[in-house]
Amino acid sequence: MSSEVLDQPSIKTQAEVAASVREVDFSYGSSRILKNINLEIELNKVTAFIGPSGCGKSTLLRCLNRMNDEIPGARVTKGKIFIQGEDIYHPRVDVARLRNEVGMVFQKSNAFPRSIFENVAYGLQIRGERNSKVLTESVEQALRAAALWDEVKDRLHESGYGLSGGQQQRLCIARAIAVKPRIVLMDEPCSALDPIATLKVEELIWELKSEYTFVIVTHSMQQASRVSDKTAFFYLGEVVEYDDTNTMFTNPREKRTEEYISGRFG
Amino acid sequence: MPGGHIFRDFDHAIRNLKDEVLLMASLTRQNLERATRALIERDIELSRTVIGDDSEVDDLEMKVDHTGMEILVRHHPVATDLRLVISSMKISTCLERISDHAVNIAKRAKKICKGSDLPEVTLVEPLYVLADSLLRDAMTAFTDHNIELAEGLKLRDKELDKMHKSLISSLSQRLEEANGKSESLLHLIFVVRSLERVGDLAVNIGEDAVFLGTAQDIRHSSRKETKGPESE
Repeated sequence: MSSEVLDQPSIKTQAEVAASVREVDFSYGSSRILKNINLEIELNKVTAFIGPSGCGKSTLLRCLNRMNDEIPGARVTKGKIFIQGEDIYHPRVDVARLRNEVGMVFQKSNAFPRSIFENVAYGLQIRGERNSKVLTESVEQALRAAALWDEVKDRLHESGYGLSGGQQQRLCIARAIAVKPRIVLMDEPCSALDPIATLKVEELIWELKSEYTFVIVTHSMQQASRVSDKTAFFYLGEVVEYDDTNTMFTNPREKRTEEYISGRFG
Repeated sequence: MPGGHIFRDFDHAIRNLKDEVLLMASLTRQNLERATRALIERDIELSRTVIGDDSEVDDLEMKVDHTGMEILVRHHPVATDLRLVISSMKISTCLERISDHAVNIAKRAKKICKGSDLPEVTLVEPLYVLADSLLRDAMTAFTDHNIELAEGLKLRDKELDKMHKSLISSLSQRLEEANGKSESLLHLIFVVRSLERVGDLAVNIGEDAVFLGTAQDIRHSSRKETKGPESE
């Protein structure tokens, strides 16, 4: 991210805010997907986005590291998103650097057809890191942080494809955190995993949140209530309610939230 | 909770849980009414009925716990549904204890009936009337999510406490001049104590009704207010 870009938000960015979404509209062509979204993503917290399919939660997630830029006709049409006080849609923002700061883990584990080591070292290498000692240390550190080191330390140079689904997803998390991002975005990261692998990923998120800020899109109410500190409920492109997860799941303010989380929607 | 659940078996389970709690409340009130009547009308047979019927309330307590657990395990309820399951399980414990007090009254009534006539038994009737009205309104607050009614129970229970204190004092005085009635008067003092406890348990049910309606935990709130923020 360009350090010269200092289009500061009108409200001073607080130290405990990792990302600030201000009055954001987003469209795919003429179709308005997000409507006037306002959200403060808290630093070192896990924020869950929940809501029915098509409500805009993944779209907003992908706005946070400009992944939507790759889709023709998709654009933020109003509002701003600040990360660490910087407007990430400013023309001078280096998008590649932004994505180093805001990593992403996808629904389906997308290990590269390379060795375990190369998968984790990839982000560092494309950033220009050539020092093998630094790479080795960073890979070990990331794999340890992703609770995968003990399982793969003796086969670092074997293909990442040889790992189980759950291990591959943790490998993707290791790859995402190897470049030391500020924020890790996760789009339904456990939807293809069995319950034990899911719990391992959730334990990992909980363990790593002291160092990273997580934003997770999930269709599982149980996962949102287990793993997140804050929850935002999206419906038809709007944030209906955003509050502490405990409050959201015990005493939501909005009727639509209660109906959705308790299975009475529609 | 407006609107049916998408998975209809969930609504069915919730309906069962509510029905079980309401049936339990109805049997508990019946036991309390019969125990008091057995005492006043010197009806030993009715006392025996109350003692025998208590097992139905015990069974229902276990049934409510079982249904509640099943809902928690199978459906992972949240928000109002979660609070309904928690409050139902807690209320069923209170109802079981109230029914135990009814049994205590019935057992004391049996013993009093075996002695000579004790005109003082009629003194407990106003206590019963107030305790039962607290219980009835606590259950109404629970079923109707009537927070105002639930919150008013604590104040009304203070009236019951006053009546209890005054009656204990009066019966204690009579104990000193009792001519062969001291044992019966002691039993009656325990009856008065049970009715006072019924009021306390009705207040507890009211607190659960407030939790169900608003997610606020108002238990021990008077103690917290007295202590103030600094001493917390």
